Amino acid sequence: MKSILHSKAIALLILLCCFYSAHSQSRPLNGNLKDVKGDALTGATVLIKGTADGTTSDANGNFQLNIPKDGTSLLISYLGYKTKEVAVGAVENQISIILEDDAALLDEVVVIGFGSIRKANVTSAISSVSEKDLEDLVVAGADQALQGKVAGVTVNNNSGQPGAGISVRVRGITSTNGNEPLYVIDGVPILSERRSIEHNQLGGQAGQSVQSPLASLNPNDIESIDILKDASAQAIYGALAANGVVIINTKKGKAGKGKIGYDTYVGYQTIQKKLDLLDLRQYAGYYNSLIPEINNSGSGHLDSIDEFKNPSVLGGGTDWQDAIFQTGKIQSHQLSFSGGSGKTTYYTSLNYFDQTGIVIGSAFKRYSGRISLDHEVRSWLNVGMNTNLSQSNQRITLTDGSDAVIGIGLYNSPAAPVRSFDGEYATTASIQGNSFGNPKNPVALAELRDVRNVQSKVLGNVYGDIKFLKHFTLRNEFNYDFNVTQNKAFQPLVRNEQTGIVVLSPSRLIEERGLGLYWAFKTYLTFEKSMGKHWVNALIGHEAQESNYDQLIASRQNLVLNLESLNAGEGGTTQSITAGKYPWAMESYFGRVNYAYNDKYSLSASIRRDGSSSFGKNNKYGYFPAASVGWTISNEPFFNESKMISYAKLRLGVGSVGNSSTSGNNLYNTNIRLFSTAPFGAGGIPSNVGNPDLSWESVVTQNAGLDVTLFNKIAEVSVDVYKKVSTNMILQTQLPVYSGLGTDWNDINSPTTNAGEMRNTGIDIALRTYNISRKDFSWRSSVVFSHYKNELVALNDPTASLRGYKEYGNAILVTNTYAGGPVGTFFGFVDDGLFRTQAELDAATYTVDQNGVAVKYIQGLEVGENPVTGTYLGDVRYKDVNGDGRIDDKDLTVIGDPNPDFTYGISNTFTYKDFDLSLFFQGSQGADILNYTLRSTESSFNPYLNQQATVLDRYTADNIDGSLPRYNQWHNNNRRVSSRMVEDGSYFRIQNISLGYNLPRTLLNRVNISNLKIYATVQNLYTFTKYSGYDPELGSFNNNIRYMNVDDGHYPNPRTWTIGANVAF
Amino acid sequence: MKYNSKYNFLFLILLLASCSKDFIDRPSENGPTLDVYYNNAAEVNAATGLLYNTIWFDWQDKAFHAIGEAQGGNMLTPNGDANYGSGVYNNFKVQSSDVLVAASWKSLYKVAGNATVLVKTFEEKASIIGEQPYLTQGIAEARFLRAIAYFYITRTFGDVPIVEDPVALAKSGDYRVPRYIQSDVIQFIINDLKFAEEHLSEVSYQPGRVNKYSASGLMAKAYLYVQDYANARLKAQEVINSGKFALYADYGKMFTSSAANNNSESLFALQWSAAGGYAIGNPIQIYAGPSTLLKPDFDRGYSSVLPTLDIVRAYEDGDKRRGWSIMEHGYSNPDWKNVNFPDGFLYDTTYMDSNDDAKKIKNGSRCNSLKYIVGTGSNGELVNDGFSDICTYILRYSDILLIYAESILGSGNSTTDAQALDAMNQVRARAGLAGVAEITKDNILHERRVEFAFEGDYWYDVQRQGFDRAKVIIAAQERGNYNYDGTVNSIHASIVSPSQLFLPIPLTEVQANPKLNEAAVKYY
Repeated sequence: MKSILHSKAIALLILLCCFYSAHSQSRPLNGNLKDVKGDALTGATVLIKGTADGTTSDANGNFQLNIPKDGTSLLISYLGYKTKEVAVGAVENQISIILEDDAALLDEVVVIGFGSIRKANVTSAISSVSEKDLEDLVVAGADQALQGKVAGVTVNNNSGQPGAGISVRVRGITSTNGNEPLYVIDGVPILSERRSIEHNQLGGQAGQSVQSPLASLNPNDIESIDILKDASAQAIYGALAANGVVIINTKKGKAGKGKIGYDTYVGYQTIQKKLDLLDLRQYAGYYNSLIPEINNSGSGHLDSIDEFKNPSVLGGGTDWQDAIFQTGKIQSHQLSFSGGSGKTTYYTSLNYFDQTGIVIGSAFKRYSGRISLDHEVRSWLNVGMNTNLSQSNQRITLTDGSDAVIGIGLYNSPAAPVRSFDGEYATTASIQGNSFGNPKNPVALAELRDVRNVQSKVLGNVYGDIKFLKHFTLRNEFNYDFNVTQNKAFQPLVRNEQTGIVVLSPSRLIEERGLGLYWAFKTYLTFEKSMGKHWVNALIGHEAQESNYDQLIASRQNLVLNLESLNAGEGGTTQSITAGKYPWAMESYFGRVNYAYNDKYSLSASIRRDGSSSFGKNNKYGYFPAASVGWTISNEPFFNESKMISYAKLRLGVGSVGNSSTSGNNLYNTNIRLFSTAPFGAGGIPSNVGNPDLSWESVVTQNAGLDVTLFNKIAEVSVDVYKKVSTNMILQTQLPVYSGLGTDWNDINSPTTNAGEMRNTGIDIALRTYNISRKDFSWRSSVVFSHYKNELVALNDPTASLRGYKEYGNAILVTNTYAGGPVGTFFGFVDDGLFRTQAELDAATYTVDQNGVAVKYIQGLEVGENPVTGTYLGDVRYKDVNGDGRIDDKDLTVIGDPNPDFTYGISNTFTYKDFDLSLFFQGSQGADILNYTLRSTESSFNPYLNQQATVLDRYTADNIDGSLPRYNQWHNNNRRVSSRMVEDGSYFRIQNISLGYNLPRTLLNRVNISNLKIYATVQNLYTFTKYSGYDPELGSFNNNIRYMNVDDGHYPNPRTWTIGANVAF
Repeated sequence: MKYNSKYNFLFLILLLASCSKDFIDRPSENGPTLDVYYNNAAEVNAATGLLYNTIWFDWQDKAFHAIGEAQGGNMLTPNGDANYGSGVYNNFKVQSSDVLVAASWKSLYKVAGNATVLVKTFEEKASIIGEQPYLTQGIAEARFLRAIAYFYITRTFGDVPIVEDPVALAKSGDYRVPRYIQSDVIQFIINDLKFAEEHLSEVSYQPGRVNKYSASGLMAKAYLYVQDYANARLKAQEVINSGKFALYADYGKMFTSSAANNNSESLFALQWSAAGGYAIGNPIQIYAGPSTLLKPDFDRGYSSVLPTLDIVRAYEDGDKRRGWSIMEHGYSNPDWKNVNFPDGFLYDTTYMDSNDDAKKIKNGSRCNSLKYIVGTGSNGELVNDGFSDICTYILRYSDILLIYAESILGSGNSTTDAQALDAMNQVRARAGLAGVAEITKDNILHERRVEFAFEGDYWYDVQRQGFDRAKVIIAAQERGNYNYDGTVNSIHASIVSPSQLFLPIPLTEVQANPKLNEAAVKYY
């Protein structure tokens, strides 16, 4: 209903606009601007000579002007191109103009921190993504749009959940701490994390709760994204820049006739593939085959079930994958107005985005609005403001866990129904006294639990530029980010009235309110002057920033009539209230000098001093210097410009940035954790062991880059190699458990220290080619290639390691990184096939010598004695890695690496007359995946759980060549984390195909539309991979580098089909 | 004029471009720091109070039954229940990667670590503000708690690391602590208890707090584990002679009602608060209780651990403790009401099909344990999401009496010592049983088994008999269950190596510290 209203309102607006513009009196002229390569020029200024009347070209290079009857000429200017004058006769109403480039790309402007400079003078590693590159990508957040677009930036969706977290890694893994880059939107750094309430508050596992920080920003409002990749560029952001900086600037109005734009798309989303699980017939057959195996074992008993005796007469049973996956819908509507006259320009937009996920219960919705204003108050004073308003509303389904929705869906028995006959949710089915299915119904879990993150945000800036003494500009900028978070987790009490069985319990509501206020005040003075062949740009500035987060969490349970209200809950024992305040402040001074000589040599040097509230008085201040040089070889006299190489530039840089983010507040002090409920009353206990010496984490990057234009300007290549070394990482000491100090909420937390070293070396290559440039047809390609090699050089102790665990009580180690290896490596036994014959069992030489008992043991299990008490025929044999004749803990080793060898993206854009087609492929090579779900779905240990169809080929006495181990409910030999679970996660994905058509202007003129493009897009069309799970793109659980590429019932990325239209008046 | 306004403006802005010095000083607003805390008795006592509670939770939750009862043959975990290691505690296949191995190791060392940090903190505080009675008492209380934690650790895992200063260990950078031989761990425990005994008052300053005799009593028990019968007898006698303890008449109520918390029989008990819910309330009925009692109100009562057929058969005829400790078919409690039992709960095992689920029980041993099961709260008991207020008895006066009797028996095969007989027969009399005329190794072990059934202690009693005797005891036990048709699916477990008397050290710990794979060394 709501969305129908929306579209009606929009249609009405469009109509009104049409009538309004029909008033124009003079003769209209429609024009189109292209460069020599055939690319449309967006934002070029078109003026009627001798007047102030003019306009700018739109995204497709089109413009419209009213020409005096007797004709005139137009002046067309565009940065980086030669200004052109074109005469317009008395009768023409259609014109095509081609602009020639003026030293081509060199005059493109690149955004650097606190300013922008000509690309010719850039000395560090900066990648830019323009509005054009973001076009037609159907994504909730701009971070997703970076995938495969930028060399050196590895982007992975952590989940297919709408609005979910994204792992964005600029040049590898910088630190054991957070690795997400700093996003700076219109000068405002996004310091807050978007996090939902963990599902374990309602019972069961926690699931992923870190969501994308950019999901509250409307991607359609973005004008440009610039990524500062090396420290020589980042250092001006000092202590916030350790993981790279992504500068996002939003759209601004341009002088000229007002523009009205309407952009929309609608589409649907589906799951890419389903897994081959047993249906009821196969499952009954599997169950029947287990009866003799279990009953003859001498331990345990399995009833034979009459209903299962003849599987061929059974139906398919419940397809749990069908039950939990759905077709998702996606739509976006955007209305924008922009323009400017005289001394004022403006841009304003409204956007509505709505997406339902492919797993039931997940959804994302966003309303956003934006206003941007610029005004020249005096000849020496410009003021302006940007305001972004948004509200996002995300509903999160529990995923990533063995008792989460997808996890249960994978092993829940097809004999258990979703609902009982009367339509109520069922849990288990009892057949002859045997209960089939999981006590938690995943459909009920997804549909009834309402876990939601609602974020309302106002973000923006107000600024004034004062020009004085000709070359000086003083900029004052006030930035703010005001954020209201409303988190909720609700579950009703649901009982199946027929059977009396409880489906979900207890009814519980948790509400969280967070108020975040960030502000910054920046003042910086810029001096810029060209003197002959010299050019200088110098900057000095001061910045004060403060952020306060104020949080209140209340929960109650046993809600009257399951009402979703805290008022309906019980008082007394079950309610709880917690609160927290998290203040932070930083004060900084910074300066930078850029110098260039004769377009040949350029140099940049900067320094920043940060003072942070994160540290105690000994270490409050950190200094972050950087320097870089550029040498345009092709401008040297000795360089002979050839068709082969027309342009070459070398860049070298080194710099230092820092990180001050700690996992808690005031970790330099020993804080007291106050508790309110305890048998002996309220009190306080130390919450951590303070470290007064806690200090800055430091990252030093060395970068060398080469930019070359080749083959008669057909190809542009940028190659950057780098080495990035992080030292003094802020690490919470990971002590063995017997120390008594830990990292849990009710532990006395171990001290946080500066320790260790992490090194990343890598190469980024970006290639852009203009393959064909004809009047009616053009073909352009872009290839990016990123490779990094990560090494954890040292931790705080040679024996220390970074460990990632699964299951309650951290029982199962899945990743373990010792110094010398890349982070996040999988750790376990090495698979050595199955014991298939008695001879192989006899040949096993594992003995326990500790007590002199002459029994062959593997990890506490005898070998070959009998099927119940020990490792037996059909069980997995593990490798004696260290060769000491025994299989034990010492044989655990690295069994896989989640870091890719390289990632890449390939874009192709074709235009033919009014059509354009883009093909975008993206992939990752060489990363391993730990398919943890196999521990449930392929390990045949419980007759009541469903399995993948592969278990039909398990080892049995009749099938000694079976590919999977035998059924084994007696011990967990076959369920250990081992190389059996490690799979090749390489993939090549057809990420986006988009076909667009620009309606002919002759047609559009009649209805006063200046441009109308319609397009159809398919995203994530097909993935070529050997990975057996749903999706090889796994990202990392809650952005934690200890859980990269661990598949524990992951929410797969959907395939998306959309159609859309862009209309401009 | 134009320039005037411009430069005024410029000047104003440059003034703004600096902050006061304390701008980047943001102390925590959420709680005090150590410098300003622990300056009075209330703050110190509240901190030590936490040592009786939530930090034990991960052990109390499931490992308590799995280790102390399932291994001992008193309880079984139905097939495939992954929460209890899929039954490995019944058949001695527990591996170093087991969830409960990790949970109990973590929880018990957390108690020890928290206690140690408090000891160090109070000592440091005393060095600043001078010795205060409340600080000394706090240290003594924390050392008692550390002792009991290590007592469980060493009885469960054998030779284990000792950490006396976690903060120093964290700062050292080398975390590789070796295992220490068990007798030295016991000595470490006794040293703590001696300090506690010396500095705690004779009567608890608050009900439920440990006192001088809690330390004496635990010392008596610790001496038993190193066969120091003389000292065990001495310490048990001190407790008995103090006259401050007596058997609580209503054994049944003691285990089903928080009204009996910290009664005349309790020397040390874990304290729980239902109001705190998860991790703060007593969780035992959540996993051990029957679904028909708890499910309608809470999603609880998993019946994950049940009495074995063996323990049910172990009770002598007329032993009232069987009915006070186990729910069998026909058990009823009119006080426990829920949707399905508006007139009071009935334990009914005549299960037929899934439509019976709400009111009838189907499980392998056709009974549930009754200790620490308090119901849904219909009788006024505070129950929050299944969690309760009932305390967990760790050291009871009846334990002291039986320790006393056993210490007199010593390493002999039997005794008719009057004091020994009197002590043991006091325990039997409460259960409605006639006294025995002679104490033997067998009958005192049996008495301990039924007296402390489902209290997490029997496995340790079996274990301290030594490998040879333990092997025989285990082999004789029926660890099977009823088939659906009523026949018994008989299962017998066996231990083949003395190493099976102890649980393996968690795999993840050995991975972090390979020294734990090496032979134990001496601490003293």
